[in-house]
Amino acid sequence: MEPAEAEFLAEKELVTIVPNFSLDRIHLIGGDLGPFNPGLPVEVPVWLAINLKQRQKCRLIPPEWMDVEKLEEIRDQERKEDTFTPMPSPYYMELTKLLLNYASDNIPKADEIRTLVKDTWDTRIAKLRLSADSFVRQQEAHAKLDNLTLMEINTTGTFLTQALNHMYKLRTNLQPGESAHSQDF
Amino acid sequence: MAAVSSEGTEADSDGGSEELVLTPAQLIRSLEQAWLNEKFAPELLESKPEIVECVVEQLDHMEANLKRAKRGDLKVSVHRMEIERIRYVLSSYLRCRLVKIEKFFPHVLEKEKSRAEGEPSILSPEEFAFAKEYMANTETYLKNVALKHMPPNLQKVSLLKSVPKPNLDSFVFLRVLERQENILVEPETDEQREYTIDLEEGSQHLIRYKTIAPLVASGAVQLI
Amino acid sequence: MSEAYFPVGPGLGLEENFLSLDDILMSQEKLPGRAESTLPPLTFALGQGVSTGDSIPEGSKLEIPLWLAKGLYESKRRIISVELPKIYKEAWRTVFSADASVVDLHKMGPYYYRFGSQLLNFDNPENPEIAQTILQTFISRFRRIMDSSQNAYNEDASALVARLDELERALFRAGQKELNDFQCWEKGQASQITASSLVQNYGKRKFTDMDG
Repeated sequence: MEPAEAEFLAEKELVTIVPNFSLDRIHLIGGDLGPFNPGLPVEVPVWLAINLKQRQKCRLIPPEWMDVEKLEEIRDQERKEDTFTPMPSPYYMELTKLLLNYASDNIPKADEIRTLVKDTWDTRIAKLRLSADSFVRQQEAHAKLDNLTLMEINTTGTFLTQALNHMYKLRTNLQPGESAHSQDF
Repeated sequence: MAAVSSEGTEADSDGGSEELVLTPAQLIRSLEQAWLNEKFAPELLESKPEIVECVVEQLDHMEANLKRAKRGDLKVSVHRMEIERIRYVLSSYLRCRLVKIEKFFPHVLEKEKSRAEGEPSILSPEEFAFAKEYMANTETYLKNVALKHMPPNLQKVSLLKSVPKPNLDSFVFLRVLERQENILVEPETDEQREYTIDLEEGSQHLIRYKTIAPLVASGAVQLI
Repeated sequence: MSEAYFPVGPGLGLEENFLSLDDILMSQEKLPGRAESTLPPLTFALGQGVSTGDSIPEGSKLEIPLWLAKGLYESKRRIISVELPKIYKEAWRTVFSADASVVDLHKMGPYYYRFGSQLLNFDNPENPEIAQTILQTFISRFRRIMDSSQNAYNEDASALVARLDELERALFRAGQKELNDFQCWEKGQASQITASSLVQNYGKRKFTDMDG
């Protein structure tokens, strides 16, 4: 999967906006939205929030976790633990990028947030490589990967599964006679 | 005939009918689920003609409504954006299936041929026509370009033997939607033993596709 | 974006993929062998060292391409015998088990894993050890390939890549692609439309054609 597709999925997440217009409920195929009243916070999917923001029709309220203090805690926790800690959103990376790119004027300390999220990301990716290496070395058949996010999986997913598939085939070479020598001439 | 219907907004609670009634929102979710599964599964999965049909119906219906609305309306533009998003998932899903059909066509057709009566097809009628034509075109092409210039005893090539099969032993990532118990994990080396695992709802795993293929088909797990 | 054309990938194991260009190239690689009976002239397949028109006497040493060796070996009469190329022999297997990461597999290969797996088609008593060494070599070189393909922030990895066999190179490229895709997305370049590599190559070819 491409990063843009993970981002596409992240755009379905809900965020709170404060609109500056009024509009009745919208009956979308995927569910109802609104009503929209000037000054009254309302939840909408990220794809709509960004669009409205670009048209200067709303102000965006960042998700609770998009906050320097909270993110510092998350980063420190991630560095302390050997396992993957739970992230505040399964799309934390995508949302950080989207919201900071399109609504940084509504998010206090945007640059610090960007750095903190990136640090957390780097720590997690380093852990992911470490566990990939041990998975390969131990020749394991199954791994539990709780708390890993879609974007994280997709930055090494193809590489790792390809390597594992090669390994599996090289291992079947060790058992001659089973699937082997099936070609008759 | 349709097993899924997007009509009505409430789930049919009495189990009298076999029909599974989905709300439009649930319908879109099952399309997304089918899309991701198809993207990550090594083999071509069962086709979902009912879902595709209902989504197309929903999109057409919405388009027709929007034609009547006045231009420049904020509401209309929001609807349009949603339509484009759904259309993207739908076409990406169908394309992904076409890619797999082109990759595995002899095996896909063979599976279809040996399908028992009443068993659901892995191909929609349109995909079946596409696969047959692709097979015929490939055979003709190989014949014209190479085989007819070969000695008579070497003019046959079995596409079933020469086109690689989907690798069901591929490793995949998944998220568990419905808890499963006692999934048997085969050992990878001689020193290891087979063991069973429980798949807790919401947990994520890396495992060989073959082990959990039935769970993908039943919707108990989601490939990621 | 989806690609317009998907080449058939190579097999890995006892069987080759008939329609794979990589496997056709791999099966051209030669291995040492011996004629167990008088062979007809095979100059086209064996190349230099065999003079045109002469038949090959029993006992001659040969360098046989894999595809021909497989064909001749599988027939009922034993026409040829094959030996292990030196990189799969015990001396080299010891080197691999000591430290596989230092070996230049491209120079020694360049199809170390796939060619090695193919050798298992010939009933050599050392087959289990060969299969084991190939597997362990892959495992012990994995980490370095992963780190360099996913860590090289646009750094030059050519020194490492030069020492990888073809299978490892494909893996390396897969890792680099994932890293690049992510970095492009992060920088916001994913939303820019770029020409497909097919179109780019076409442009290049036209250009050089005009030059020449």
